[in-house]
Amino acid sequence: MKILIADDDRISRRLLMKTLEREGYEVIAVDNGKLALQQLSLPDGPRLALLDWMMPELNGPGVCSEIRKQHERPYIHIVLVTSKKEKRDIVAGLEAGADDYLTKPWDPAELTARLRVGQRILQLEDRLVEARETMRFKATHDPLTSLFNRGVIVDLLARELTRTRREGGCTVLMLGDLDHFKSVNDGYGHVVGDEVLREVARRLLGAVRSYDFVGRYGGEEFLIVLNNCNSNHAVVRAEEVRNGIANHPIQTILGPLPITMSLGVFASSDWNLNLVEEVLAEVDTALYRAKATGRNCVRLAEPNASSCVLGQLLK
Amino acid sequence: MTLPVDHASHGTVNLGELLTRVDNDYELLGELIGVFKEEYPLLLQSLRHSIACGDLLSVEATSHALKGMLSGLSMTDAAAVACRLETLGRDGKTTELTEALTLLECGVAESLPKLDAYIEEANL
Repeated sequence: MKILIADDDRISRRLLMKTLEREGYEVIAVDNGKLALQQLSLPDGPRLALLDWMMPELNGPGVCSEIRKQHERPYIHIVLVTSKKEKRDIVAGLEAGADDYLTKPWDPAELTARLRVGQRILQLEDRLVEARETMRFKATHDPLTSLFNRGVIVDLLARELTRTRREGGCTVLMLGDLDHFKSVNDGYGHVVGDEVLREVARRLLGAVRSYDFVGRYGGEEFLIVLNNCNSNHAVVRAEEVRNGIANHPIQTILGPLPITMSLGVFASSDWNLNLVEEVLAEVDTALYRAKATGRNCVRLAEPNASSCVLGQLLK
Repeated sequence: MTLPVDHASHGTVNLGELLTRVDNDYELLGELIGVFKEEYPLLLQSLRHSIACGDLLSVEATSHALKGMLSGLSMTDAAAVACRLETLGRDGKTTELTEALTLLECGVAESLPKLDAYIEEANL
């Protein structure tokens, strides 16, 4: 594990280095507070630090204060090493953000024991962060496909619609529904149905740009939000998505299954709708038209018009 | 283990503590003493200058640095005098500074040969 030593005293620095290297630490040593802050601010910087209290440029408590302002990075366990033994100094150091302190001259056994405490605290912190991230993922993603869940994809859509309205751009929304999916579940079982849904999710993600959003809207329904997409390209993009599903059968444990998807498409710049519910209703109507006109096709939601057949659009 | 010292001296070295700190690594101890011999004259010169100029902030800072080095090498008496110099500098008690400085120089002058002798003995 990496550890930072910041001490302007060469003897103290060398002693700490040697002691910690014997304990298996990867030691980085600097001789002033400014350099300590730089090292600790690096993305892969040390997460354990031994800081001398009095240092040139920036003292130990100063480094602590600056580090504690960096809320977005992993926690750093900081031990102040000081010859200040008065209670008010210790309190000031801890208040500045230090986790522990050690008085000079330090005892090697106490030093290493305190650092092991620090390591345990960091491990606990890592486990808490991991658990939080797992919970966050579970709360925002569909467990079967790992796509955004309905709540999140609708929120993202609302956010994108607001942004493009403000910037005068265009958000394209696609609502795709797998054709005759009930017969897959009924005919081959839910295990195969789940395989199909997972593979469709994978293909949908592969068909869009990294900054577009894909979510599972319902059972076999998927919402795709394309950011800053030219409305003229909306149907072409939807057709690419459709082909991505239809052109290659999906491999399942029972063999390859031909699967198709019908899509309703909505381009925000063609409309003057403010509510996400209205947008979803229009794209749902377009999807219904795609289903009604034979499935495995794309229909564009158009104001004051009925369905628009893809073939006609592309001609 | 403490090296035998004359009670009138200011050169106590807590060798047992020091050897524990360096994990009985004589090579490291020799290296640290070498560093001290490089740094001490510079710090001492700076301290003398600060006292002469009445620069109490500098007296405090330099004494603090000396205290760290001396306590790191377990030169306990000398470290205690450096600590006193630091306090005097912080409290602005200028009248006692020169006397404390003399004590510090005596302490180091007595301690350092003991450490040198120990290293020499260990190398034999």
